[in-house]
Amino acid sequence: MSRFFFLLREAFVNLKRNFLVVAGAVLAVFISLSLAFGALVVNEILRINTLAWQEGVHVIAFLRDEGSGGVPPGAHQALLDEVQTWEEVNGAFYVDKAQAWVEYQEIFAGQEELLEIDPTILPASIRIELVAIELHQSVKFKLEQQQQVVLNVSTAAEQIEQLQNLSNVLNVLGIGMAVVLGVSAVVLIANTIRLAIYARRDEVEIMKLVGASNWYIRIPFLLEGLIEGVVGAALAVFTVWLGATRLARASEGFALFRLDVSNQFFLRWGLLFIIFGAAAGVIGSLLGLSRYLREADGTGEEIPTGAA
Amino acid sequence: MIRLEHVTKVYEGGSVAARDISLDIQKGEFVFLVGPSGSGKSTLIRLMLRDEGVTRGKIWVAGKDITTLPKWKIPYLRRSVGTVFQDYKLLPNKTVAENVSFALEVLGRPRSVIGPQVEQVLDLVGLADMAGRYPRQLSGGEQQRVSVARAFVNRPPIMLADEPTGNLDPKTSVGIMKLLDRINRTGTTIVMATHDFAIVDAMQRRVVALEKGVVTRDEHSGRYEQEQT
Repeated sequence: MSRFFFLLREAFVNLKRNFLVVAGAVLAVFISLSLAFGALVVNEILRINTLAWQEGVHVIAFLRDEGSGGVPPGAHQALLDEVQTWEEVNGAFYVDKAQAWVEYQEIFAGQEELLEIDPTILPASIRIELVAIELHQSVKFKLEQQQQVVLNVSTAAEQIEQLQNLSNVLNVLGIGMAVVLGVSAVVLIANTIRLAIYARRDEVEIMKLVGASNWYIRIPFLLEGLIEGVVGAALAVFTVWLGATRLARASEGFALFRLDVSNQFFLRWGLLFIIFGAAAGVIGSLLGLSRYLREADGTGEEIPTGAA
Repeated sequence: MIRLEHVTKVYEGGSVAARDISLDIQKGEFVFLVGPSGSGKSTLIRLMLRDEGVTRGKIWVAGKDITTLPKWKIPYLRRSVGTVFQDYKLLPNKTVAENVSFALEVLGRPRSVIGPQVEQVLDLVGLADMAGRYPRQLSGGEQQRVSVARAFVNRPPIMLADEPTGNLDPKTSVGIMKLLDRINRTGTTIVMATHDFAIVDAMQRRVVALEKGVVTRDEHSGRYEQEQT
């Protein structure tokens, strides 16, 4: 146990002594993991919004007024009843002309010139929620067959589908970016540790001279890498969390696009990133040390017999 | 204690540092390796420490064949062999006491043992009152005493010294040699590479002379130069 504390103390002394090199390594981890974590958060925001939009209305069928243009009374209710039986439809509800006017007034509140219209021109509508977003074309087609009652069909499904595709692309990009940045973090740490070892090669040589095993020499460096990785990753997670929280707070009341990511997400992924940072630090240190310790063994230069 | 059997060391490029050397060094002996620069003295020290591998031959240290020692066992060999070098090889950011205790930390000795042992050895080398100083605050002779203290702190049966007085003035060199002689009297086998003839002549111990990697003379109670008959 005392040996472990000795090695831990050595690691902290080295971190303090090589402050600039350590700061460089922490910065490298911080930047690469901030970018990776940021990409993940953006991806999550897109996912949340796609889901939110999907939960709303996908298709709106605007209806001709009953009693005019050959639309018999009760036609709206009949169409609503029929739509509700369609297997593509998860739910549907009717918005009459009076409700449409109320909705219109809410949307354009404060814009007096837009409110000076004849409320009777606003059509009644059927709002439809689909079972799956990709079914929008089939429902639209069916509604357009009802030309006698249906004035026109409006659907947000195409935009949602595009967003979903974008989200999928971003997902792949995000994962790819996280992998690339993760590998860069490992390489950067490995190089930083290698530089640190190069600067302290005499020390390593003396350690070997007094009989320190390779692992004994490695452990303080591994602890250094671990600490650098954890600190860099924690800083990255904290910075992205702070940025995302501030942004979400600033965008409160902006109904079209949600920016609030749950704390649970930050906790789960934040922890994973910190573990990744720690692993990157340890792997980087191992890579950085391996070559140097192999060279320091000084036993690799045997000349084949007969050379004399 | 140390046995070399037909040891040959050839470096890359073909230069021969040791050619078919056989030596038998008994427990408690004090052996000087003498010879001009490039004669192979330092190479022999490095071979005995397994800092380098042999090209041919066998080396036994404390009964173990170190030429076939697996890499992971080399640290164990070094823990039983104290080493002193011309350039002291002290850790600049550690104090005198920390430099000496480091050799015991590596062995995993508890703090309760390290403290008194370091104190004792610093007393032996006459640096008890400088325990808290850093190497840069010491003279060359004092730094070499720290190096000797570190080499001896875990009471190794063998001590290898490569030109330990090479950087020191004659008076300071005598002090270091007295120290090594004292350590030798405790039963520690000492092998010392040097080209300081005054020391070799004054000590009158076993002398192994090397020239171009070949043993040219091996004398008990010898001198630096062969006496003319």
